Amino acid sequence: MEFNFARAFEKLGPSLLNGIGTVVYVTILGFLFAFIFAMILAVGTLSKNKLLVWILGVFIEIIRGTPLLVQFFYIYYVVPLLLNAIAGLFGLNTNIQLEAITCGVMGFAINYGCYMTEVIRSAIVSIDLGQREAGLALGFTEKQVLFRFIIPPALRNSIPVFGNYLVMMIKDTSLLSMITVQELLLRTKTFASQTFLTVEAYTILALVYLVISLPLSQLCKILERKLRKV
Amino acid sequence: MTLLEIKKLSKTFGDLEVLRDINISVEKGEVVVVIGPSGSGKSTMLRCINLLEQPTGGEILYQTQNVIKLGRQVAEYRRHVGMVFQKFNLFPLKTVVENVMYAPIKLNKISNKEAKEQAMALLCKVGMESKAEAHPASLSGGQQQRVAIARALAMQPEMLLFDEPTSALDPELVGDVLEVMKQLAAEGMTMVVVTHEMGFAKDVADRVIFMDGGYIVEEDTPEKIFTNPKNDRTRAFLARIL
Repeated sequence: MEFNFARAFEKLGPSLLNGIGTVVYVTILGFLFAFIFAMILAVGTLSKNKLLVWILGVFIEIIRGTPLLVQFFYIYYVVPLLLNAIAGLFGLNTNIQLEAITCGVMGFAINYGCYMTEVIRSAIVSIDLGQREAGLALGFTEKQVLFRFIIPPALRNSIPVFGNYLVMMIKDTSLLSMITVQELLLRTKTFASQTFLTVEAYTILALVYLVISLPLSQLCKILERKLRKV
Repeated sequence: MTLLEIKKLSKTFGDLEVLRDINISVEKGEVVVVIGPSGSGKSTMLRCINLLEQPTGGEILYQTQNVIKLGRQVAEYRRHVGMVFQKFNLFPLKTVVENVMYAPIKLNKISNKEAKEQAMALLCKVGMESKAEAHPASLSGGQQQRVAIARALAMQPEMLLFDEPTSALDPELVGDVLEVMKQLAAEGMTMVVVTHEMGFAKDVADRVIFMDGGYIVEEDTPEKIFTNPKNDRTRAFLARIL
């Protein structure tokens, strides 16, 4: 069997470059929304309202107990049908459809948001109680103390973990191929089935993922070491 | 003038009665030192004064206002009553001078420049001006505690509470912190100090309170407490510690 990497690279390369754009776009938006969502959930789970804490707990368990891929399918295929059905109850005849890439961002925001909630929550809990008391004793309110003295160091301590989640999310964008997003895997699959350069195409694909994720992982490790110093 | 008056203060944690029938009054400019065995409730009593612990019963009158029922205004009240902790509790991500400047900038809305000048003056006062740009982690315990005192002073409190300020320090570092506290006392700062430093109590206190088992057992001038305690428990405690 002969391999023709040069040809595969020449033809597949530009397509993958476009795919990287999609991956970066989805990852940046997905991560941003996941972080915001996680902050809200984390502060919510630390609330004194037991009902709220319970509801959030159940929600987080549901999300963490189901595969990300299933969630993508659910958002892409099921949620529009449910929305149409609900609209139907009000006598409206709608045909709501969600763009695949939007569903990808939503899925990442919800799924990663729930995992990152736990990271933020435990980081907040691990901040020395003395910090809280020092802030209160100076005359800051409970809320000011939370946002000025507890959350900033908690987030700082979580940066390396967030970095790992970011790398994971980049790799998980490959799942979006299943809901028709033209990311790297779907482009490679199409190319391989048209050209039969299967070995070449998927090897190049794997290398592309490595080229993106390895430097980022290294960066996380460096950050982790730097943050530990202070 | 009476700055603080505590009446029939009690505190329970679940079934545990930590404070019972505490009555104290503190005059402006007075230095009150609270001594007693560990578990006697001294720290809890101190933490009740600025409501880091919510009292179970009684009244805490600050300039005749009962602060227990303040609700949301408790933060405002705490600005008048500074606190120095056993473990310093400096903000680790801020430099020394930032630790001191932060609350006045955010709470008193003074300018950065003014806050910095004030902070540097306070750091000079506690002998820490040379470490202004250092981070707390690079300081010794005694140095951290002096910064913590400067931080509390930055809010220009009318009263300072000290919760065993030298208990977490190496013995050779205790002196510097006590020196700063003595200086504050000499300047007329109203202070309530929970401590095991009997030398400090003897030299600086206007009044010494001995607590045991959640009660105030005895309260008198340092001369009388240390030379001629009335109560057997006070005598036993002092015999053990001196």
